[in-house]
Amino acid sequence: MAEVPTQYGIILAAILFSLGVAGILLRRNIFFVLLFVEVMLNAAGLAFVVAGARWGQADGQVMFIFVLATAAAEVAIGLGLLLRLHHQFKTLNVDEASDLRG
Amino acid sequence: MTSADILSLLPLLVVATTGVVVMLAAAFYRNHRLSLILTLAGLLTAFISLPFVSPLTPRQVTSLVLVDGYALFYMGLIFAAGFIVALLTYGYLEQWDGNPEELYVLLLLATLGAAVLVGSSHFASFFLGLETLSVALYAMIAYNRSLRRGIEAGIKYLVLAGVTAAFLLFGMALVYAETGTLAFSGVIAVAGGGPSLQLMVGLGMLIVGVGFKLGVVPFHMWTPDVYQGAPAPVTGLLASMSKGAMFALLLRYFTPVMALERQGLVWVFTAVAVLSMLGGNILALTQDNVKRILAYSSIAHLGYLLVAFLASGPAGQLAVAFYLVAYFATTLSAFGVVTVLSTPDDEAESLRAYQGLYYRRPWLAIIFTIALLSLAGIPPTAGLVGKIFIAAAGVQASLWLLLIVLVLASVIGVFYYMRIVITMFRRPEADVVQPSMVRLPRAASVVLGALSVILVGLGIYPVPVMRIIERTVARLV
Repeated sequence: MAEVPTQYGIILAAILFSLGVAGILLRRNIFFVLLFVEVMLNAAGLAFVVAGARWGQADGQVMFIFVLATAAAEVAIGLGLLLRLHHQFKTLNVDEASDLRG
Repeated sequence: MTSADILSLLPLLVVATTGVVVMLAAAFYRNHRLSLILTLAGLLTAFISLPFVSPLTPRQVTSLVLVDGYALFYMGLIFAAGFIVALLTYGYLEQWDGNPEELYVLLLLATLGAAVLVGSSHFASFFLGLETLSVALYAMIAYNRSLRRGIEAGIKYLVLAGVTAAFLLFGMALVYAETGTLAFSGVIAVAGGGPSLQLMVGLGMLIVGVGFKLGVVPFHMWTPDVYQGAPAPVTGLLASMSKGAMFALLLRYFTPVMALERQGLVWVFTAVAVLSMLGGNILALTQDNVKRILAYSSIAHLGYLLVAFLASGPAGQLAVAFYLVAYFATTLSAFGVVTVLSTPDDEAESLRAYQGLYYRRPWLAIIFTIALLSLAGIPPTAGLVGKIFIAAAGVQASLWLLLIVLVLASVIGVFYYMRIVITMFRRPEADVVQPSMVRLPRAASVVLGALSVILVGLGIYPVPVMRIIERTVARLV
């Protein structure tokens, strides 16, 4: 099986990462914002796996597992907050649910 | 792992164990006072263990954590901040009808994360420490679930911290792809051999991530909203522990990188420092909300710290360490005053709430005045001594542009700090509705008094703290 060049993997990860950034900037629904944060985190995870493969080390994959675990913790709290947000503001739109200004 | 390794991790282990103990205690027997006492005991034990660990240092425990004088010094600062915040929280939540116990668990988790962060020498421990700190902070910010703004601030911080983590991780992955090691030292070996695009982009993304966490301009948008929405003691924690730990890490990771004389990096940090100093102070001028003013002021203070970071060398290290001590004491004392005047459902944040404070609570007004003088850098306070150290380090490294901006920004800062002070000493108008005279919590009052004594004490006689800093932190260089 032919090796996939490191550069390709990094570029794929970079594209995914940019999609995540774009999604966060464009989407106003908090649910999708959280989803795109996940996309960004997993893009970084992919970059780790690719980088690990370049050096033939397990470190990249270990980091990926860390990323998964902490992203899960983050989502657990994120969804909890999302429910409270909906309860308080009756909307999931981040622009409407904004009292803090100045 | 030898027993000496485990012994040198003792401070971290104590804090982690305390977190579990407080959680179990809350599960079986809910008692606010018990949770507080366990938390305080744990943090105190961890703090006391530091001098005993000190003879073992510097010690690399696995490849993840480097326990050296530098790490121990900042751990001490973090544990002290945790201790103070726990005491402030107790009075704040005493009359609240929700469950206060879990906040202490989260506080211990955040402390643990911050302590790991300052000791980390590897991307994995960096990331894990950061996430432990952040995840605990989301929950703390939104702790009062019935408050709209608490939830809003929590969500804002969550999205921000998620994005930050993603930037940091991607940066780490790029650096790793270039260097082949996740250890901090890896970058030095490679960066010497000419810059590659991948490495530069990786370092850039790391800077973006760190910049978001520190809340420096242009990554500062979240700071005022989150500061305003979070419960007052949590805001104090955010401003002190979270930023302080991140700054200590920035220093540890980027000092060797900067030593490679990358002009580009120096320019980036210079721009961020100038923008933060000016931006923070100018934006604060237009605010009428004390928590938001303090938020903008913290942006400016991180800018001052960056000047010391750019000065680098032993003088810069010394200045950062001393300034962080002064900044921690000052910030905690300022937010402490806000905390004792607030309840979880009604925070004393508008400037009006402070009108005539001197005539209602003279001591509190004096304590707040001392904290504000220290933030502004007016003698005889720790803030001034800290600024002098930063200026001295800047002069040594001949960073003239930054020094001019530092002085200008400090002058602008005096205006809004004095505005709060003048408001407190102005006689209240008859028609202003006076906030109810809440009983001051005893523990918090003692803490605030002690912090003020420290602030003035450091302002007049900083030598003892300088000795400790010289013996610990200076070993980094």
